[in-house]
Amino acid sequence: MERSVILTINHKDYELTVEPNETLLEVLRDRLGLTGTKAGCNTGDCGACTVLMDEKPVNSCLVLAVRAQGCTICTVEGLAEGEDLHRIQAAFLDKGAVQCGFCTPGMLMTAKALLSENPHPSKDEIKEALSGNLCRCTGYVKIIEAIESVTDNEKTR
Amino acid sequence: MILPKFRYYEPRTIIEACQIMAELKDRARPLAGGTDLLVNMKKGIVSPESVVSLCEIQDLGDIESSGTILRIGACHTISGLAASDVLRQRFRALSTSSGSLGSPLIRNLATAGGNIVSARPAADLPPSLMAYGASVILKSASGERILPLHDFFLGPGQTVMEADEILSEILVPNPPPGSGAAYIKLGNRRSLEIAVVNVVSFIALDDRAETIRKSRIVLGAVAPVPLRAVFAEQLLKGEKPGDLLFHRAAEAAASECMPIDDFRGSARYRRAMVEVLVERALKTALKRAENWPGEE
Repeated sequence: MERSVILTINHKDYELTVEPNETLLEVLRDRLGLTGTKAGCNTGDCGACTVLMDEKPVNSCLVLAVRAQGCTICTVEGLAEGEDLHRIQAAFLDKGAVQCGFCTPGMLMTAKALLSENPHPSKDEIKEALSGNLCRCTGYVKIIEAIESVTDNEKTR
Repeated sequence: MILPKFRYYEPRTIIEACQIMAELKDRARPLAGGTDLLVNMKKGIVSPESVVSLCEIQDLGDIESSGTILRIGACHTISGLAASDVLRQRFRALSTSSGSLGSPLIRNLATAGGNIVSARPAADLPPSLMAYGASVILKSASGERILPLHDFFLGPGQTVMEADEILSEILVPNPPPGSGAAYIKLGNRRSLEIAVVNVVSFIALDDRAETIRKSRIVLGAVAPVPLRAVFAEQLLKGEKPGDLLFHRAAEAAASECMPIDDFRGSARYRRAMVEVLVERALKTALKRAENWPGEE
């Protein structure tokens, strides 16, 4: 029972046919080659697959692709503009907030959603926002520092 | 982990959804946030032939507060509940329990109705909803019924719902003036945690704020269903609130729960924690009742 859907991802429309049992994560990675979004636990526990759906961070492994139609999807590939890193990415680089890097795309997307809603979060608010994104290298301190260092000088894109 | 194949239905109205369920019955499962159903399907725990998405039914996502009642659409997200000013001001225990469910990412998908129909004994919302005296509306092609949440659960994953019924709405009466409630969740972690024990204490004082007119104490993760501690409630009724009374009520609650040993905690530990947490929640609930309607 295939369905044709139009998915709006990083401001671009993709027209494709999907099976109802395909998750948004699978479509992003396997069909569209957007492999920045990582597949971790596949059960909503680790946050490696975090994308923004209508500006809210969600586990894309728990979203059916058919359901994502009509929503605005933003993945880690949509952060940088060409060679210009998004300021959150630049902050992660600057603070050394990346170890193995597997959790990084999810961390970045959650951070983006947090900063759009709350441009000056406290340390506790950052920790709370990140509590669904696990870092197996346990590099949380640098990640939190990186998000803290992003100031409100420029607007969140 | 790949989802098994299924037929997918996307009704636009609750009537249409009920008709589909009437036809397919237990061969179909309604899908809301998917944080429970899709995980269980990936793990092969359930494998419905059909999935009926409720996400496209507009009214189910609504929340509406009137002078007497709060109506929560079954598909309203948990993050919506956690961010609600109405909940923070008038339904503090429900607000706290919403904010402690899963993780922020899960809360953006998970729904109020889903947390009820999955009927997990350690679920976050049911104890709070029961403490406020909530009811649920169950709809089917042949009509609807309204049921107190107290009578809804039968056991782990088991409810009184028929295969063709859909939980469409949750009704929570506004708590009376001079009342307060508190939710406490005990877990090993602060996020993505399933409660070892969770408790809610609700107290309504009389008009002169001297005695307890009504109380509800609900315990989670210590019985096959969220459990009203009725003996503890009886002890409190008509009495003057105080530390000794609260201690006796907490002891009663501990004696009426039926916890089991599992990897999250032993039965003995859970029972001991019920006593500690009920007493603590009662003290907070009293403070809130005395400060009604203001913030703590």
